[in-house]
Amino acid sequence: MEPGDIARPGMVAPSRRRMLRLGGTGLIPWLSLPGLMRMRAEASTGAEPKAKSCIFLYLQGGPSTIDMWDLKPEAPAEIRGPYKPIATSVPGTMVGEHCHRSARIADKFTILRSHSHNDNGHTTGSHYVWTGQRAAFADGANSRVPVNEVYPSIGSVISRELGGRGGVPPYVNMPHPLTAGGPGFYGAEHAPFVIESDPVQPDFEVKDLKPDGSLPESRRRRRLELLGKIQPAIPLAGLPATLGTYQEKARELVSSPAARQAFDLSREKDSTRDAYGRTSLGQCSLLARRLVEAGCRFVGVDHGSWDTHFTCFPSLEKDLMPHADMAFSALVSDLADRGMLSETLVVMMGEMGRTPRINKQAGRDHWSMTQSVLLAGGGIPPGRVVGATDKTCSYPTSDPVGISDLLRTIFHLMGVDADKVYLTPLGRPVSIVSGGRVVEKLLAG
Amino acid sequence: MTNQRSRMPLLLAMALAHLLVTGARAEIAVFPSAIDLNGPESTVQVVVLRKGKDGRGADVTRAARFRIEGTAAPIARIDSTGLASPVSEGTATIVVGEGGEEARVPVRVSGVVKPVPVSFAGQVIPALSKAGCSSGGCHGKAEGQNGFKLSVFGFDPAADHRAIVAEGRGRRISHGDPRASLLLLKATAAVAHGGGRKIREDSWPYRLLVRWIAEGARTDSAEPFETARLVVDPPGLRVVPGEKRQLRVEAVMPDGSRRCVTSEAEFESNAPNIAGADSRGLMMAGSLPGEAAILARHMGAVAVCRVTLPGKESGFPRPPERNFIDTLTWNRLEELGIRPAGEADDAAFMRRAWLDTAGTLPSAREARAFLADKDPAKRARLADRILASPEYADYQAMLWADLLRVDRDALKAQGAVAMWRWLRSAFAANMPYDRFAREVVSARGSVAGDSPAGFLRVLDKPEVVARSVSQLFLGVRIECAQCHHHPSEKWGQDDYAALAGCFTGLGRKVMPDGSEALLSEAAKDINHPRTGKPVKARPPGGPPLEGDPLLRREEFAAWMTAPANPFFAKAAVNRVWARYFGRGLVDPVDDLRTTNPSANDELLEALARRFRESGHDLKALAKLVMMSRVYQSAPGAGGANFEGAAHRLLPAEVLLDAVCQATGVPEDFNGLPAGTRAIRLWDNRMPSYFLQVFGRPVRATVCSCERGDAPSISQALHLMNAPEINAKLRSAGGTAARLAKTGLSPDELADEIYLACLSRFPTEEERRAVAGLVGEGATARREGLEDALWAILNTREFICNH
Repeated sequence: MEPGDIARPGMVAPSRRRMLRLGGTGLIPWLSLPGLMRMRAEASTGAEPKAKSCIFLYLQGGPSTIDMWDLKPEAPAEIRGPYKPIATSVPGTMVGEHCHRSARIADKFTILRSHSHNDNGHTTGSHYVWTGQRAAFADGANSRVPVNEVYPSIGSVISRELGGRGGVPPYVNMPHPLTAGGPGFYGAEHAPFVIESDPVQPDFEVKDLKPDGSLPESRRRRRLELLGKIQPAIPLAGLPATLGTYQEKARELVSSPAARQAFDLSREKDSTRDAYGRTSLGQCSLLARRLVEAGCRFVGVDHGSWDTHFTCFPSLEKDLMPHADMAFSALVSDLADRGMLSETLVVMMGEMGRTPRINKQAGRDHWSMTQSVLLAGGGIPPGRVVGATDKTCSYPTSDPVGISDLLRTIFHLMGVDADKVYLTPLGRPVSIVSGGRVVEKLLAG
Repeated sequence: MTNQRSRMPLLLAMALAHLLVTGARAEIAVFPSAIDLNGPESTVQVVVLRKGKDGRGADVTRAARFRIEGTAAPIARIDSTGLASPVSEGTATIVVGEGGEEARVPVRVSGVVKPVPVSFAGQVIPALSKAGCSSGGCHGKAEGQNGFKLSVFGFDPAADHRAIVAEGRGRRISHGDPRASLLLLKATAAVAHGGGRKIREDSWPYRLLVRWIAEGARTDSAEPFETARLVVDPPGLRVVPGEKRQLRVEAVMPDGSRRCVTSEAEFESNAPNIAGADSRGLMMAGSLPGEAAILARHMGAVAVCRVTLPGKESGFPRPPERNFIDTLTWNRLEELGIRPAGEADDAAFMRRAWLDTAGTLPSAREARAFLADKDPAKRARLADRILASPEYADYQAMLWADLLRVDRDALKAQGAVAMWRWLRSAFAANMPYDRFAREVVSARGSVAGDSPAGFLRVLDKPEVVARSVSQLFLGVRIECAQCHHHPSEKWGQDDYAALAGCFTGLGRKVMPDGSEALLSEAAKDINHPRTGKPVKARPPGGPPLEGDPLLRREEFAAWMTAPANPFFAKAAVNRVWARYFGRGLVDPVDDLRTTNPSANDELLEALARRFRESGHDLKALAKLVMMSRVYQSAPGAGGANFEGAAHRLLPAEVLLDAVCQATGVPEDFNGLPAGTRAIRLWDNRMPSYFLQVFGRPVRATVCSCERGDAPSISQALHLMNAPEINAKLRSAGGTAARLAKTGLSPDELADEIYLACLSRFPTEEERRAVAGLVGEGATARREGLEDALWAILNTREFICNH
């Protein structure tokens, strides 16, 4: 490494604002990021990225994948639960009976049955999944212990590394993002663009995207005209320059029909909206597809209520599983029909699975040692099952895949060098993903 | 013909050069004056300087010729970069020739025939560290790299020895054929190595590793020799753009002897675009004026060379000096050759002073009165008025509630309110800052009482308390030393454990009413994280705390706030400075260390002295800053050396209050009295999209970096389109509706809203543009004003302080 090119450990990391100043002029910072140091000269693979975008369906609370994608019909009743496995379009692959829509398109995605890690908490586990870093705080208390280093989420990393490729922000998270999905110490410039309302609501509208509806067009125009008159041209450097580029980008977003339409679900046919399911997860997934079409790089969808400790089966079979099954199968089919699946990686997972043994309250508890993860498109050869768990779905018996491995695989598919090193606010060099390896079995057809 | 003609000036120049050399024999100087090479892998960096006409020494080392005299076979060699290394034992002379001149330096080589065995911790680890093997991005990562893990910065020699010699089935070391050791094959990239070639076969580190393996690849029988003090020569340097200068680094042993470690040390610059250094310690100046600190590190010791690259501006008239801040700042800018900005007008000063000090936009009435005031002392009177305002206490309480982590989720509502009240009254009463800090650190009693007990209550371990208090009040970020020696400071793991020991006697108890209380219990010493041996409780750089173990926090607080404390007052004034200028004299604001020097040492010292002498009076300090001509500089020319005022985004709460005030419609906070301002919120979890999107901190850290200071697209969208803001603009009780009903002319209306939003009168153009929107009739007037207000709220001038 030559001196003079980049920041190094032990020295003061340039503040975000200074970084922006270095980031050049006239361009949105997310398009012109200053290169941070590259300690390893060679890129991770050098291969062409397969996925241009990623849709990350996050089943928050921990999906009961033993009832969905990895059934154990041979196990005792208190483990196998009430559901029967059904055949899928891939001979030999069985899934739970309440995932029959996905079963019909099992040739379009791959099931990873051996995802496993050892963080059994919700906030800590979510932090782990989204950032690849172990939480430095106790579960449920992420504000108790002061940490200087709050890590950026996968979406923020992708926003920073790949930038946008259209009129929409590179990273969108909806409907109610977790802290874990935030930018950490990357700061607001790589924060997700947050849609503060749920697309399943009939009056759904993206916050702040449209000017006051009651304002006549003439007044909107004269407001902007006046602003143009009283505001000096964007200067070349400094905070005002950065601020100015954001203001311009915001105006583009508001005035560009393409960007606005990307967020407008009402442009979809009713039958399409029905196919995804008139649920939060369904409509978010549909919106995610629209955003990816418009150039969004990473769409995170948070879907809650999977923490099924008590009397889990009624809610699983009436709501949770059908919602996930509909949304996932519709999204994958829709992407395939539009020829977008090969360039769009879809991942569906939570922070953990559920305990194999049904508890006394007829629920299942936290179990991070096993979880099935669904992956489709973006370079993942479809129609396969990777990894396996033991007779009771307690532990992986082959190809265990940890969080670092999974994140590394996602970054690999998107062409992000997961070994790239950046500095934390303490000046510590940290690579995008620490440890882990690309899961070759997921990539090999 | 052409050749002949061009040769003439050359000959002339040569003759002149000859005259110069013969005229003054001392034109070149060679360092060191004697070269002592002890040990087969030892090196000494020779530096040759030529004195120029201006008296500056220019580095001509790499242009000089070296030869060894005095023995038939040379006993040492010296390469073109001036690095001397041993060949065989004996004495000789190195003759340095440059520009027709010669200098002679004696050289002695010893310890080559029967060398002292290689020290693993003292030599092997530093060599691997310098080569980058144990860096945090490579084998020093927590999980190592490709199965080979070294401790980062080599903090754990025992583990490193195991990793090299025993792990990997022992294949990393080949005792029979040292050169065939995988360690060396990888390091030299003789076999495929992800990190590439890190060590060359013809280098001293390679010879060192070979010898170490040949000697049995042993670990040290005794503790490695004591860490030496490091000296960089020169410690300071003024350079011209593009200049290069070889630095020399010497380790000073406890017995006073010196050893050249230039080629063994690691170098880092904090501002490579001003001046950087390569791995050999060759300083290279860039083109950007300013100051850079080049850090040299060797075996846990650090030293700094401060390089000043002056700008071209010289001889500018010094602006007035209203107090010592100005004197010392103009001195510094003169040194740096950077021209200071002009003076801010009254309007800019007033808006800036209110927003920086009290987080509050002046009202239109206040602005009008201040601008019309003819009293020459009106700026001083304004400063007093702001400091006496209730908003001052509100705002300071808010900023400190961030740092002291007044988080409702962590403290519960009762505890958060209690702590906010304590903060609010402390700033209203201008509690001396030393007392403030003592009360925070030695707090005890109920979290629900008006006390700062909540701060320590939520920190769960002595280590967490220790590093939080240290960062907060001392500006010492000792967190690094939890796992390894601080890479750019003297702090090691023993310092970390010693500091943590100061906070071991912290007990917590649930009171009968369900609230929690802090107690003091007998403090205990904490074990060294690696050796497991207890480390005596001791603040960083301070004496062991040996008083009553029940009063250990008090003892720490007394040490911390004592006048002799080297950090406390500096850290405090630096924080205050940063609030007024957007960045500290030391930046980041809570990272004070020699390797992160301030932009103006003298000023930082002088401010700290004045602050101590004033009895740690925060308001007096704020007034001093506000009254300086430096603070009263014109906007827009901000820079790292405070040559002008910088633009800063208004904090979320301040901006929300400003929007409310400009539109004349207060924010409605759930459950709080109407008209409550955002800077007065004790509840950091109060739902507010506005505050969230503009970067209100969640108060998860004691780092002031947590408050978002970067703009985002969501912010821009919110100001443009948010229905909440549009409702304020249109409100029947809002500014637009109120002004529309007055008898003011369109021009007067323009004045009024400019004063309300920007504390200034509009320019002629602006007035015309706004007045043009305000038509005839009640509705047209109101709508025109709404639209004009909308436009002003969306200007960068409104969103920023400047």
